[in-house]
Amino acid sequence: MIVSGVPRSKRAAIWWGRLMVMTRKELIQLFRDVPIVVFLIYSFTLSVYISGNGLKSQLHNANISVYDADHSFSSRDLIHKFQPPFFSFAGELSSSNEGQYRLDRGTVSAVLDIPPRFHEQLAAGEPTAVQLLVDTTNSPQGLSAASYAARIVAQFGQEASLARFGGSAEASQNLPVIVSDHRVWYNPDQNETWFESISHLLRMITIFAMLLPATALVREKERGTIEQLLVSPLTPLLIMLPKVLAMTVVILCAMAVALFGVMQPIFGVPIRGNLVLLFSLTALFVFTTAGMGLFAATITKNQSQVGLLTLLLIAPMLMLSGVTSPMEAMPPWVQYLMTLSPLRYFIDVVYGILLKGNGLKELWGHVLAMGLLGGSLFGFGMWRFRRQFQ
Amino acid sequence: MNFRRIKAVAFKEWRETVRDRIFLLLAFLLPVLWMLVFGYGLVLDVEHIPLVVVDRDHSALSRDYLYRFTESRYFDFKGSLTSETEADAWLLSGKARAVIVVPEKFGERLLAGQPAHVQTLIDGTFPLRTDITKGYVLAINSALSGELLADYVARTRGLSREQAKTLVQPIRLEVRYLYNEEVRSAWSIVPALIMFSLMLAPPLLTALGIVREKETGSIYNIYSSTVSKIEFLTGKLTPYVAISFVNALLLWLLATLWFQVPFKGSFGLFLLSSLIFVLTSTGIGLLVSLMVSTQVAALIITMVLCTLPTILFSGLIVPVSSLSPGAQVQAHLFPGMYYTNIVRGTFLKGVGMNVLWADMLALALYAALLRLVAYRLFTKRPRS
Amino acid sequence: MELAEPIVRVLGFVKRYKKHVAVQGVDLEIKRGEIYGLIGPDGAGKSSLMKAIAGVLTYDEGAVEVFGTLIDSERAAEQVKQQLGFLPQGLGLNLYPDLSVEENIDFFARLRLVPEPALIERKARFLAMTRLDKFRNRAMKKLSGGMKQKLGLICTLIHEPELAILDEPTTGVDPVSRRDFWTILAELLRERGMTALVSTAYMDEAARFHRLSFLSSGKVVASGTPAEVQALVPGLMVTFEATPQMEAIARLKTQYKQVEALGSLLHVFTEETIHASAMQSITSSLGDIRPVHLRVDEPELEDVFVALLLRQADQPPSAEMPRVTALAANHGLAIEAKGLIRDFGAFRAVDRVSFQVKSGEIFGLLGANGAGKTTVIKMLNGLMPPTGGEGWVAGADMKTAGGAIKERIGYMSQAFSLYLDLTVEENIRLFAGIYGLNRPATTTRLEWILSMAGLKGYESSLTSRLPMGVRQRLALGCALVHQPRVLFLDEPTSGVDPIGRRHFWDILSVLAREEGVAIMVTTHYMSEAEHCDKLALMFAGRIVSEGSPSEMKRQVETEAGRLVELTVDRPAPAINELELAGFAGVALFGTKLHLLSHDPEGDEPRIREICAASQGVVQSIKTRPLSLEDVFVYRVMELEKQERKQTTGVAA
Repeated sequence: MIVSGVPRSKRAAIWWGRLMVMTRKELIQLFRDVPIVVFLIYSFTLSVYISGNGLKSQLHNANISVYDADHSFSSRDLIHKFQPPFFSFAGELSSSNEGQYRLDRGTVSAVLDIPPRFHEQLAAGEPTAVQLLVDTTNSPQGLSAASYAARIVAQFGQEASLARFGGSAEASQNLPVIVSDHRVWYNPDQNETWFESISHLLRMITIFAMLLPATALVREKERGTIEQLLVSPLTPLLIMLPKVLAMTVVILCAMAVALFGVMQPIFGVPIRGNLVLLFSLTALFVFTTAGMGLFAATITKNQSQVGLLTLLLIAPMLMLSGVTSPMEAMPPWVQYLMTLSPLRYFIDVVYGILLKGNGLKELWGHVLAMGLLGGSLFGFGMWRFRRQFQ
Repeated sequence: MNFRRIKAVAFKEWRETVRDRIFLLLAFLLPVLWMLVFGYGLVLDVEHIPLVVVDRDHSALSRDYLYRFTESRYFDFKGSLTSETEADAWLLSGKARAVIVVPEKFGERLLAGQPAHVQTLIDGTFPLRTDITKGYVLAINSALSGELLADYVARTRGLSREQAKTLVQPIRLEVRYLYNEEVRSAWSIVPALIMFSLMLAPPLLTALGIVREKETGSIYNIYSSTVSKIEFLTGKLTPYVAISFVNALLLWLLATLWFQVPFKGSFGLFLLSSLIFVLTSTGIGLLVSLMVSTQVAALIITMVLCTLPTILFSGLIVPVSSLSPGAQVQAHLFPGMYYTNIVRGTFLKGVGMNVLWADMLALALYAALLRLVAYRLFTKRPRS
Repeated sequence: MELAEPIVRVLGFVKRYKKHVAVQGVDLEIKRGEIYGLIGPDGAGKSSLMKAIAGVLTYDEGAVEVFGTLIDSERAAEQVKQQLGFLPQGLGLNLYPDLSVEENIDFFARLRLVPEPALIERKARFLAMTRLDKFRNRAMKKLSGGMKQKLGLICTLIHEPELAILDEPTTGVDPVSRRDFWTILAELLRERGMTALVSTAYMDEAARFHRLSFLSSGKVVASGTPAEVQALVPGLMVTFEATPQMEAIARLKTQYKQVEALGSLLHVFTEETIHASAMQSITSSLGDIRPVHLRVDEPELEDVFVALLLRQADQPPSAEMPRVTALAANHGLAIEAKGLIRDFGAFRAVDRVSFQVKSGEIFGLLGANGAGKTTVIKMLNGLMPPTGGEGWVAGADMKTAGGAIKERIGYMSQAFSLYLDLTVEENIRLFAGIYGLNRPATTTRLEWILSMAGLKGYESSLTSRLPMGVRQRLALGCALVHQPRVLFLDEPTSGVDPIGRRHFWDILSVLAREEGVAIMVTTHYMSEAEHCDKLALMFAGRIVSEGSPSEMKRQVETEAGRLVELTVDRPAPAINELELAGFAGVALFGTKLHLLSHDPEGDEPRIREICAASQGVVQSIKTRPLSLEDVFVYRVMELEKQERKQTTGVAA
């Protein structure tokens, strides 16, 4: 009531000043913890490089061994078709039992068994069969190995029979077959470093944005520093928002380093869309994710609890939001659940802006969803916070 | 080594853990919840790819061809478009991930015994999906091509359809799926989720447990007493190892009873290797805790250190053999991979020690090495 | 003690933290069976030295020898740890909050391999001795400060170490519990022939030491028996009233370094050793101001240490208060509590507490640890909603108070609540920003706080690196950064050295007297309570006694009699006997014994008789004016007795 005479502009200036000092405080605290800084730098530089460089999420190089009972020209020809990137040839077997042995040990993930008289039958135009044993302990890999193998065998058979018709290469041009012309958009060379380094960046941003503000808030509760803030004129918003703001600043800088220091110069990741849009939406994402972390922080009492709770939430976010495997195949309930995961929208935003050159026109729905999610999470966190300290 | 002192430390740690109800609840709930969510939800197969088609031909054959796509579970038909430019917008917005463009005279050419070119536009942002989409398109194309070819051969050579088919496709591929005969995604995911849970939660529990004592100052009780470093570290870790080991058992029960994943191997071997693995993962937490001084740092570092390699390099999603050579080296440096081999080996393959000894040995070495380093790093008489 | 061999030898001890030198060349020797004290101002290096002796901290130069083993490596340190017990600084920080009293003890005992039968026996004895036996199953976090400290002591001594190293064990503990603590410690040491190395921030406790070292800025300034140290600074304490007080102080300060105002009384330390000339010199330096009620006493140990410290020359420069012109004292109500109640489950922590504090008034809330003082403060500053009743601060109900009211409030919580990972300056700037100070104001306030709290030179030190006393000063500075109209200070001087405390109270007086700030304060230093205009004594959640310091004293005098001070050569055994004989308020004060008697002259022969019966020869016996510490000890002990009677009555 004493201050009620203060003009609105002055009050806004004071509010802004408070926001700034609190944000500064969060930044100082963060940067004073040397191990965290070291890890932050590692996560957005070296680690991005390593995962961009090393990972292949395609099902490449299924190790395959062959038991060739025929030892003919045709069998060798067939074996020769099992080539990288889909298969990598891991040697011939002396007996078909050895195949099982190798599969058990996991040294190969498929074994091709070519029967005796393979060449003979093929030459005679008789139907013949080859057997493929596939390890399906990793089911997607098993399935795709089988389907690649089926394609190779079918093509080999077709070519063999066409050859038998005496047809040459051009003969097939006069046959009724469907020829696929693939055009891969946005990443025509199928450069996996793009995908892997971007998705790594997304994971890192998620972990930091969720965890750091949450633990910072719980630490204030644990150490009692929150009391000093609560007796001050700071509103709950001014206690919680600076943590998010500080994290946003850090993440934006870290992302700039990763993007312009590693991904663009080393991997040649294109930036086809608007950078300002990318960074603003990253800020929105950090706000939303941090809101989730802060909410977790308001329902826990100590850092052990908040650590476990955020881990509980982060794991499904990282695994099911579509960075690890595409969303479309997930069961409907997972897709519904993941509407609550800000990462699910942010993935489309980042790939969209970087690779497709998307603008707000394509992304407004995602932006709206993230904004709503972040707003309600943050609001909920504030409500919990108020209730806890009343 | 004095057993009484170890017991005292372990007992104290256990009591503190038990008193923190929310923490205890989370520690046991986390793995179970994850297994339920991921066991049902984490589908790695790439299916239901959103697809739009542009049919310029409008012939019976083109309709039949496109029908094969729209009816396939691999694709989700999103609509029929009139032009390619329209398709661009669909791809751009991500509403469609693939477009099939059937050219004019598609049916005419094929029936005339001439090849027809079909254009496929695929969103390349997610290489795995791109690759698999290509594969599906090729498979549908070659199936129809085979039929058309057989018809054509039958017509031109006067053979029966059956004969023509053999002629066109002389080799049959008989595929036998081993270990997971029905190729159920859950069977392959669920056992690996035991690895996932035991790799993520225990390091966090352990790291926080020790750093907390550093932060409050109760670590001075340890510094100033006669409890030796080994005794303290052993006692301190015992409750976390116990919790994690119990979790391994719970997850085993959940996997076999709830998800009905067959367990073909030796239960004793599973228990032993789980224990070794838990010792390894708690060892990682221990190491982190000795290098940082705040719980915030302990949390973020264990999480970054454990989460990413577990998702990427442990064989959970991408088999280690499919990784690039550099990544394979990393995978071998990370304990998750060995345990993935062991759980999948004991669950699905039913193999024993003769096969898994190398993985066990690697884990044991890992656990021992972590403890050795921790022992060297831990000092009861610090500089400040 | 004559034949005892040294069990700790420290020679040329140096400890550095990065660039900062904490201890520079300390020598000392501790003999078997003695209580060796370390005292000195904040940051003198006591804790570093104690940690190094306990083998939990490395050092840079010199030699530390414990039980004949040179502690120069972790291995060497391990060898003697079985014989050591170490209690680190910080009230109960080394205990496990979620474990019960008994579980804490069990853990420490088992860690030390105490055989189970011995553990059971010792535990029973220690718990009975500390009167913690009723609370066996209570979680440590629910204990009061005094109880935590006693539990800490039990845990440190459960394995009966030959040498106990206790770092400020009594900081933050109320006077009655502190007395308890020392009695228990002395008893244990005597019984088991233990040796102890103890540091303390309460200078009067130095009388409990056999020998002591006085450390300042990492060096030993004086050492010897308390009497020897006292002899280093000969002098007398002159106490009187003089009006106008401010003018009298100003005149005295030109001649004397140690001038302190306690309410209406002035205390002056003079280096004169003859009573008459001491009075003479005071009177002459006062000029035309006439001192009344003049009396001369032997100085207390605290006075001696202050004198020693002042000799060290680097006296904190006195800070000029920037004058607030806008708001003069308006003597309106600043704080009002009306029937405040707070329940924690079934436990009533605060029971119908009512009081009023006017602007410009210093209101002291006294009470043992756990009496409910902190809860009252937290309800008033809006941290905790009351279960019942109302609290008003600056005319606003704190339950609904907005930012405008909060801007006028300063709060310093009992548990240190600033950011440990920020530097001193960063903390001050942070709070300046939170309270909306603009840039020039921040700079002036920063300067002011640094000099007021004696933090010059610490500006860029990390708060976590600061000694406890310095941290407290910083916390006070941050609470004052925005020149609040109402100040809540919860044990603000806990662990602060005497000079810092005196300085601190000078500032509070100025704030209250000249700027009309209402101050509500809790403290365990009863000498500080004398500064308050009004006091309330809390016991078990209720206010049991209220009034100005002199009113409180008068109440006790009419109730229980006048204060008799005895100098007895073996006071400890006499305490029990005198209590049994029905004397009230029997307690040890420094080296002296205090008791209350309605008829001091008539009781004198009886007192001498009782002391003689317990092998104590009374060297002197005289009456003294009551101090607030006497009032506190008397009140709380009486109430505890009553409570015990009631509970045993119920039990029977």
